[in-house]
Amino acid sequence: MTYALVSLSIPLLSALVLMLAGARLSKRNAGIMAILTSLLSLVAAWFCLLDVAAANQSILLNLGGWENGLAIRLRLSPLSSLLLLFAAFMHVLIGIYAGFSRQSVSRDFWTLSCVLHGSLAALWLSADLFNLYITLELLGLTAVAMVALAGKKAYKPASNYLILSLVASLFYLLGVALVYGRYGSLDVVLLGLQTQSDTTTRIALLVMTAGLMLKAALWPLHLWLPAAHANAPTAVSALLSGLVVKGPIFILWLLWSEVAPVDLAQQIGPVLAVAGMIALVAGGLSAMRSPYLKTLVAYSTVAQLGYAMMALGLLMTWQLPQMHVALWLFVIAHGLAKATLFLAAGEMQTTLGTKRVSGLRGATQTVPVAMFAFAVAGGSLIGLPPSGGFLAKWVLLEPMLSSPQNWPWAFGVLLGTLVSAAYIFRVVAISFDRARINPPDVRPDRLGHWLALLPALMVWGMALIGEWLIEFLSGGGV
Amino acid sequence: MSTLFTWTSLLPVLIILSSLIPGLLIFATPEHARTRRTLLNMTGIVIKLILVALMLAGVSQGLTFRFEIPFLPSAPLVLHGDALSLQFIALSSILWLATTIYAIGYLEGSPLRSRFFGYFSLCVSATVGLALAGNLVTFLLFYELLTLSTFPLVVHRGTPAALKAGRVYLAYTLGGGTLLMMGVALLHSLVTTPDFTAGGYVLAQIEDSSLGLQIAFILMIAGLGVKAALVPLHSWLPQAMVAPAPVSALLHAVAVVKAGAFGIIRVVYDVYGVEASTLLALTQPLLWLAAVTMIYASIRALQQQDIKRRLAFSTVSQVSYITLGVALAGPIAAVGAIVHLVHQGLMKVTLFFCAGNFAETLGIHKVQEMDGLGQRMPWTMAAFSVGALGMIGVPPVAGFISKIYLGMGALEVGQPWVVLLLAGSALLNAAYFLPLLYRGWFGKPPADGWQKDNFKNHRFETHWMLLMPALFTALLSLLVGIFAGSILSPLGWSEFIVSREFAQ
Repeated sequence: MTYALVSLSIPLLSALVLMLAGARLSKRNAGIMAILTSLLSLVAAWFCLLDVAAANQSILLNLGGWENGLAIRLRLSPLSSLLLLFAAFMHVLIGIYAGFSRQSVSRDFWTLSCVLHGSLAALWLSADLFNLYITLELLGLTAVAMVALAGKKAYKPASNYLILSLVASLFYLLGVALVYGRYGSLDVVLLGLQTQSDTTTRIALLVMTAGLMLKAALWPLHLWLPAAHANAPTAVSALLSGLVVKGPIFILWLLWSEVAPVDLAQQIGPVLAVAGMIALVAGGLSAMRSPYLKTLVAYSTVAQLGYAMMALGLLMTWQLPQMHVALWLFVIAHGLAKATLFLAAGEMQTTLGTKRVSGLRGATQTVPVAMFAFAVAGGSLIGLPPSGGFLAKWVLLEPMLSSPQNWPWAFGVLLGTLVSAAYIFRVVAISFDRARINPPDVRPDRLGHWLALLPALMVWGMALIGEWLIEFLSGGGV
Repeated sequence: MSTLFTWTSLLPVLIILSSLIPGLLIFATPEHARTRRTLLNMTGIVIKLILVALMLAGVSQGLTFRFEIPFLPSAPLVLHGDALSLQFIALSSILWLATTIYAIGYLEGSPLRSRFFGYFSLCVSATVGLALAGNLVTFLLFYELLTLSTFPLVVHRGTPAALKAGRVYLAYTLGGGTLLMMGVALLHSLVTTPDFTAGGYVLAQIEDSSLGLQIAFILMIAGLGVKAALVPLHSWLPQAMVAPAPVSALLHAVAVVKAGAFGIIRVVYDVYGVEASTLLALTQPLLWLAAVTMIYASIRALQQQDIKRRLAFSTVSQVSYITLGVALAGPIAAVGAIVHLVHQGLMKVTLFFCAGNFAETLGIHKVQEMDGLGQRMPWTMAAFSVGALGMIGVPPVAGFISKIYLGMGALEVGQPWVVLLLAGSALLNAAYFLPLLYRGWFGKPPADGWQKDNFKNHRFETHWMLLMPALFTALLSLLVGIFAGSILSPLGWSEFIVSREFAQ
């Protein structure tokens, strides 16, 4: 648990230092400091993972030594240790990208990314609805500020994002208040023992769910996402799509798998799962039609979150532990793949001097590494074996196929796979066009391209630890 | 862990690496470093041939070659060299040799050769991996990797036509791959994923979940049928003809269509088993499907005036012989099916080499332009004739052997109408191949000389690297037919495989 606290507090302390130091620290040094911070946090997260793996169960900590019910509780589960590691890794990777590749970022990026990292780590560790609210709010505000880093063109999407994010937080807070009024407690574990499916609880849960779905851009509340993610600076887009939207999903998952009474979860589950299926297809179709590369990638996030929503909905409906595994495998595989997709897209955009998908003609020759990275990561989004996306899909499919009345869900997965393949290969096919090559404006930036490839290789590398991952996540996943 | 490091467990991995590593190195090879690239290619091929020979010797001695690492719960990644996989590996390794030499000659001076040969090696690695796959999940993995590694080859020219064909190719193969995945996952939920077993492993479940087993079978055959180009899933194949000739040769003879056919063999024999497939009433529909494909594609081939397109439809028809033999569900037909995997590969690769030579040397693409070709290019024309006659089933070329076994197999299982069908198909084959041979040998060359003649004052009739592979594979098609009685021939080996499959 100590390691978890270290992993959580280092980024927050760094953010404080960066903020106080202000202009006294050069931009470059600020970057190096932020990267080192994430690296330290990564190391701590690694030890934390080893601890949990050895203990093979969740570790609880009451902050300040108060009794249950009064104390703010932190909980380190196998899942949260994995997510700590995941968030830290993404920050290291994207930090190096933002610091050393050609895509320049302003000084504020570093402060904000440290706050973002800290608030995410706190979110993974929280087991208290109000605590979660604070982390969620911090996460949302930081994310908005980061979108606005892109300058004037991003102000409109950023302000939309801000308003929606605030509304969503209020919804969530309203739910928290209702829960507190009804049960007098906000601790997730304690609530899980008490909740009943009465009207207050129902309304509270539905209001919180609506707020969280808006924050996570789950269909049909996703409309703000493509503009915000596509207009942010490349490094920010990668962080937002890869990590930030996963925060609200984590809370949603906690609510419905632990807090909500089972019968209510079973009622709402199918609705979420159907929404997930629609998200998969509708998001995919939008991605297929998008004329701009980054918008395509952003819509792909909407679509891919459909898988997560489907896994969550079916987890609620069937109460099957495999679905936890499917959900979190999707989240991690998607995060890695999406980081590659945005970094590669950003690199190709800069090198080729166009934002359009059609501008990628001949990209296999002009920007071979970035294009290869894009295709490899895309393969995981489609769910081609043996990528991480495939692992997740396999775990999701097994219970769907085990009895004939569940087969329609499998059909949804089939559709989702085909649509993802369509928008990924739309890009890949254009890049092989040799007849009308779009010449690059500048020489490709090698570091940026290879950094983009790294997470793509990692998501395929998940296959090597596939069986271990599935066991780790299903062993005391909660 | 000790089993991980014996030579018998590592050999399958090494066979895959022997083309994978050169492939990756070739990607990093600069465009102008022609010698280095050729050296990498040749080293890989030689090593692979030696390793395959080693495994061949081992398997005939009764050794087992098995490599396993964990992947999914109760579905590990397994590489397993058995007699059937060796049949396919030996074919792909030998044809990799011929096709690589051909491709070096064919692509001389054209751009992006490092990329081409890189993907070419990856494609061979995926094919070999698919042959070595020891269970369905592993098979699925390599099946998808094969799609991914062949796509860049299909669109290699990068023209709008190539891109269009590439999109069609992807739509079909990825769609097929998804269906296969669904089938594999469904079957996994019913009976998990053990190793491929002679005689299958689903028989025990047949009472409880016959509907599930049937649906899984249909999904898997549909997924495999795309690559095996079963009608109505065949349309991608004639379109993929825009690819460079060596790619077409590889696609048609080994890599893609054979992967589908090989998968069908695996599913029917080693997953479901003949007994369960028959009990579930699955073989008869498959037989009809193969029969329709055979006749329909032959008729379409008759209508084509473009040589490569005619060959493409001929592939569709000929590969369905393999499916036909499998669906007949008898041991003799099985020999015919498994041996045709090799025979069709050798003959079809010859035909594609020759068609490529005609196009490269004289710019001939259409059937009508073939008049008098035998006078200008006698050697290529001779090789073409061997391939074409073999396809028709004229002894002693390899195709004759396959057809005899398929016919006898049909009689053995009491389906005499299949013999009529085979005869009809042979007639159709003759109808679309003989005019080509007639024009080539007996037609009058154009009075004003050839429009375009790229190798006029060359020592051979065309570039030697284009000619030799064609002669080599034509000779092999003859030899495997003439020496079919020997134990070392593909036929002898097929009988060895079938004696194991039908042992119980």
